[in-house]
Amino acid sequence: MSQARALYHLMRADFLERVRRYSFLITLGLAVWLGWAVSTGKLKLWISDSRGIYNSAWVGLLMAMVVNAFVSLAGFYVVKNTLERDRRTGVGQILATTPMSKTLYTLGKTLSNLAVLLAMVAVLAMMAVVAQWMAGEDTHIQLWPLLAPSLIFCVPAMALVAAFAVLFETIPFLKGGFGNVVWFFLFTASMPLGIKGTHDPIGLGLVRTQLKAAVQRAFGSATDGFVLGAIGNERQARTFRWEGMDWTREILLSRLTLLTIAFAITLLAALLFDRFDVSRSWGRRRSSSRDFVAASDRELVPARNGVVPEPVPVHLQPLPAESRRFRFFEMLHAELRLLLKGQRWWWYGIAAGLIVAGLLVPEEGRKIVLPLTWIWPVLLWSSLGTREARFATDGLVFSAAWPLRRQLPATWLAGFLLALVTGSGVGLRLAFTGDWPAAGAWLIGALFIPTFALALGVWSGSSKLFEVVYLFLWYIGPLNQTRPLDFMGAVPAAVQAGIPLVWLAATVALGITGVAGRWRQLAGR
Amino acid sequence: MKLTIEGVGKRYKGNFWGLREFSLEQGPGVLGLLGPNGAGKSTLMRILATITKPTEGRAFWNGTDIARSPNGLRSGLGYLPQDFGVYPNLNAVEFLEYMAAVKGLDTAAARQRIDSLLALVNLTEVRKRPLGGYSGGMKQRIGIAQALLNDPQLLIVDEPTVGLDPEERVRFRNLLSDLGGERIVILSTHIVSDVEATATGIALIDQGRLLAYAAPEELLRRVEGKVWEWVIPSAELPAAREKWKISNAIRRADGVHARVVSERPPVADAKSVPPSLEDAYLAVLEGSRGSRLGMAA
Repeated sequence: MSQARALYHLMRADFLERVRRYSFLITLGLAVWLGWAVSTGKLKLWISDSRGIYNSAWVGLLMAMVVNAFVSLAGFYVVKNTLERDRRTGVGQILATTPMSKTLYTLGKTLSNLAVLLAMVAVLAMMAVVAQWMAGEDTHIQLWPLLAPSLIFCVPAMALVAAFAVLFETIPFLKGGFGNVVWFFLFTASMPLGIKGTHDPIGLGLVRTQLKAAVQRAFGSATDGFVLGAIGNERQARTFRWEGMDWTREILLSRLTLLTIAFAITLLAALLFDRFDVSRSWGRRRSSSRDFVAASDRELVPARNGVVPEPVPVHLQPLPAESRRFRFFEMLHAELRLLLKGQRWWWYGIAAGLIVAGLLVPEEGRKIVLPLTWIWPVLLWSSLGTREARFATDGLVFSAAWPLRRQLPATWLAGFLLALVTGSGVGLRLAFTGDWPAAGAWLIGALFIPTFALALGVWSGSSKLFEVVYLFLWYIGPLNQTRPLDFMGAVPAAVQAGIPLVWLAATVALGITGVAGRWRQLAGR
Repeated sequence: MKLTIEGVGKRYKGNFWGLREFSLEQGPGVLGLLGPNGAGKSTLMRILATITKPTEGRAFWNGTDIARSPNGLRSGLGYLPQDFGVYPNLNAVEFLEYMAAVKGLDTAAARQRIDSLLALVNLTEVRKRPLGGYSGGMKQRIGIAQALLNDPQLLIVDEPTVGLDPEERVRFRNLLSDLGGERIVILSTHIVSDVEATATGIALIDQGRLLAYAAPEELLRRVEGKVWEWVIPSAELPAAREKWKISNAIRRADGVHARVVSERPPVADAKSVPPSLEDAYLAVLEGSRGSRLGMAA
């Protein structure tokens, strides 16, 4: 009983701490926006060029699929911070000294994550009613067909996301930005596999089978075409009446299996959880325990025989007046060192390999090499503008003279130089071949990336927002050759259409936004 | 060199005033800010360090409003916040070089300065170790070193001795006394002995308001002849605490030596003893709270 009580309070405290933050309101706002996109027909579900009329069963299913496809990806980033918060606030140190077991802790954190994700699901379920009314095709609200898909498809999927978020936080190399990148690729890679199978977390495979059968019944034939996302209004779909999912034993069992897997992942997280023991994470990897003990020993010099030692004369020589000369190059050098410090040899090895590949690959290869070149340093760029908040050095840095004029430009320039150097292979090749429009687009890309990182970093105070948004943009734009979103000139057609100029304008706007954000940090507190 | 604070106040969310109508003028020397937790010391220091802007009132550094033109002050400011962090991947030298660049110091001069500062705070031996592996006290010493990097005219240190061992604490107190001779040092703490050892002026703050601003000798004079000590058996201590506000109780072989600040002797055999700064601090605090309660009643 006391275990259950502890679990409840662990979950409750964590949940309340999150929902009382402004960021939670933003999260709910995003959920409302997603619901609005469905309501206004911007996000659709089509099967074999057909769709159901907007009755409760269809809207409920559509909303559940949107939740699982989008909230599963974005929601992970929303909730993957609960252990980090306990670590940062020191609450973890206190919890570690209580009799609470590691399993109870990770279970409480998974449940708290789940509660946050379900709050988003609840908002979208309510938006389903709005969507049905706005469509006006069948305004009769039927609760079970409307809510059952959310309950049966979304709860297990969200439980899985909640558990994975906790697991990632217990694995040292996945708890930071690298974990954010890994989740993105894990999710995007598993989605096509899920559509083909029946045990996919999102449930698209299960839905597809029944929808295809319904289309076949309505029109006599059906193809494998299945789209969930934005579809242009110029295309018209055939409509049919969808009466709701047949909740077979197979479906219910597969969803229960997901809940069991989520529980198993939580148990695995408990096994890996270091219980806030610094020596098991930081100390073991970065510095030897012998060093740490030696350092601590120096701290523990006792007062000899209980008497404070006699004062020792202490003097500090004055600093010559001529030494107070600000040199931008020195500031830039310091920022570059801060940006690159801690990278291992293999990081530089891969970056160098990509530079060489950029020089050697032909035109077609550029479409792949350039995006790869500028995804590799993403975790370095994501630190721009956030370090002061993340490492609590803002009091030190912002109390120095002219931080807006001196430190911020140096921070940005360090990020820009990183983009120039890592992308230099492609850049040089474009210059050698005289493809100046593409070289210009490449330069705009190099300007855009650090500016974008700095603006998001300064305003969010966290590297996560840039990591996630940049990954989306990079994946959909340059990598998938979506012309309007190609910000680096990887798609020749985008360069010819003048798209880089739009990104140049965006860079300028983001630059102003970043400076305004830092100015607000300095002046508005 | 002059720091002038005129009616400064800071209002936080929920109409809570962290600081109210705070005024004083300070020349070279060590100003000790004394007050209980939440008194408004850190708020005042953040305003003076130009990290936060006051809601009302103004503060001037050599006649310049620091909220309107903060960079004049910042060029000669050394600030050690109560809570601060470091970059864990950098070592002590690299971190201080970074801070020197931010503060606009010449590289060659900064290197020399960093060497002497690391020696001063006893971190020379661990100068090449990443800061992420430092203990709390060592990080505090790095904080002290960065505050002194630019040879500041105004040094603001918020609870600087937290986490320091007794030897380092004494060393730092001496350093503050030494520095206070030709610049303004503002030291915030709730450890009275730190202020006692270094301050040339003391500002007592409670609930966001300045209760007293005087030299330590003046504060001590205020309670001269009002501090009493007497010996009671150990068993009677709880009853004595109920009856009097005992500021200190030390167990000795002959019993407990209880100490109170009072206009009259608490018992007939109580002896008048020389006051300490802690007695003066408690007397001012009690007096202020008593008068507020009286007004409220």
